[in-house]
Amino acid sequence: MSVFSINYSKINWKTALLTMLLSLLTLLTAYAFLFLKHDSDFVDLGSRLLPMSLSHPFGTDHLGRDVLTRILLGAQLTVGYAFLALLTAVAIGLPIGLIAGYKGGLLERVLMRIADTFLAFPDTIVAIVLSGLLGPGIENLLLAIIFVKWVSYARLVRSTVVSERQKEYIAMAKINGLSDGKIIRKHLFPHIIGNVLVLASLDMGKIILLISSLSYIGLGAQPPAPEWGAMLNDARPYFQSMPSLMVYPGLAIVTVVLISNVLGDYLRDKFDVKKEVQS
Amino acid sequence: MSLLKVDKLTVETKDQKIVKEISFEVNPGDWLAIVGQSGSGKSMTASAIGQLLKPNLQATGTIELNGNNILAMSSKKMRAIRGKQIAYIFQDYQSSFTPFLTIGKHFDEYQRTHLRVTKAQRIKNTQEALISVGLAEDLASRYPFQLSGGQLQRAAIALALLLKPDLVIADEPTTALDSISSFRILLLLAKLQKETGCAILFITHDLRHASKYADRILVMTEGHIIEQGDQHAILEFPKHSYTQSLVDAIPVLKKHENFQDRRIDNEVNDDQQC
Repeated sequence: MSVFSINYSKINWKTALLTMLLSLLTLLTAYAFLFLKHDSDFVDLGSRLLPMSLSHPFGTDHLGRDVLTRILLGAQLTVGYAFLALLTAVAIGLPIGLIAGYKGGLLERVLMRIADTFLAFPDTIVAIVLSGLLGPGIENLLLAIIFVKWVSYARLVRSTVVSERQKEYIAMAKINGLSDGKIIRKHLFPHIIGNVLVLASLDMGKIILLISSLSYIGLGAQPPAPEWGAMLNDARPYFQSMPSLMVYPGLAIVTVVLISNVLGDYLRDKFDVKKEVQS
Repeated sequence: MSLLKVDKLTVETKDQKIVKEISFEVNPGDWLAIVGQSGSGKSMTASAIGQLLKPNLQATGTIELNGNNILAMSSKKMRAIRGKQIAYIFQDYQSSFTPFLTIGKHFDEYQRTHLRVTKAQRIKNTQEALISVGLAEDLASRYPFQLSGGQLQRAAIALALLLKPDLVIADEPTTALDSISSFRILLLLAKLQKETGCAILFITHDLRHASKYADRILVMTEGHIIEQGDQHAILEFPKHSYTQSLVDAIPVLKKHENFQDRRIDNEVNDDQQC
């Protein structure tokens, strides 16, 4: 079979869904850049709670702000911050897990006990406590998320390294005269990065939910920032008169969480060499 | 001068000695078989030679390779020796190769670590190595899980011999294979040994495998060497009772009627015991 012919029966629904959702996101972002005319924080009490129209495709909220504008800018805020938190958590957890798993011994025990200590705090509690100590705000929320999330990466990486380290191909690589650094980079890292990416993409959805839910109870993004969870909170009193105000940010959260979950499944398949060769 | 000289090697954990003061030598081009049951310390000895012992194990004594003491060597020096002077073939062919790298990548990496040659030359070397063990050269682009056990073990042998090491340590390379494949692997090892002139330290629990090609045999039990000598001396005139029992355990195919006789004898014995 040539490289260029496409076997249509093999395109699975996951890839199709992923492509669709990603292109939807791209379109929306492009729209935000090219056509967005409204200011997300511009208060116009004369045009509050308007239904959908050409100039306000999603209508306006209780302060007369354009909902579509706020949703689109909120995407940058919510997804951007979630991504930042995730990146930092991985950047802390991955090297710690690697060192603990590869070196073993006392260092491993110390590092893992520290990780266990962090694991004892549920994320919501840490977020609430940090907000109480440092004041509510998205930065402190991110700090709380990083504080809790790095542990799962450290543990995942460590367990992968420990189970792979036993295998003979690592001994073979050693026998070949490779240095520890090279063994980690060439023979262990691809194993790890696949698992980490899968967990990260699944975590992405959870973190977005966490940011939104904590913003909903007023601990995350502060008004007038167009964060989706905060928008849900703002819309709460108008639920009966204008339910669409809650539907749009809710749908936005659902869509992004769904994308990140499907992306996780997709990456897991991609990094499985066996599946890749067989298909 | 001997290639490998092991003198009073002891391998121990905190509370127990696994290998107890063993000494032996391997000459260049020699095929030495270490025979013993599992737990006799033969694999530990093999690991100690490549400095591959787990950190909880302590090796004392001296292991000299070409006159240099391996146990006193820095890890950097050790890296230069590994692959180039000592190569290993392991029992578990399934995990001898990194699962997400193709067979060819392994060969490439081996050469890149120790040699300074062009990519074209490396590919050529890889193909020649694969052909020399009777594999097709396009196997280089396959992943380890796409090969059969016999093919993988052949590829492992090709990889071990790629840089023409002085000493190949084969740690039960045939144990996980069926008898026909293991016979072929042994044949291949013998052929390649003749061609490259490397010494082989062959570790096995099966005296049959040692009896075919080994020049000398060394019998280990419970961390001690109880007997060593030329193949014929060990097989035909074993001095130690343990060696004797190993030799007796080699199954011999007899003619049909003999087999019948023996079965009848056994039945008679069984009757008497009842």
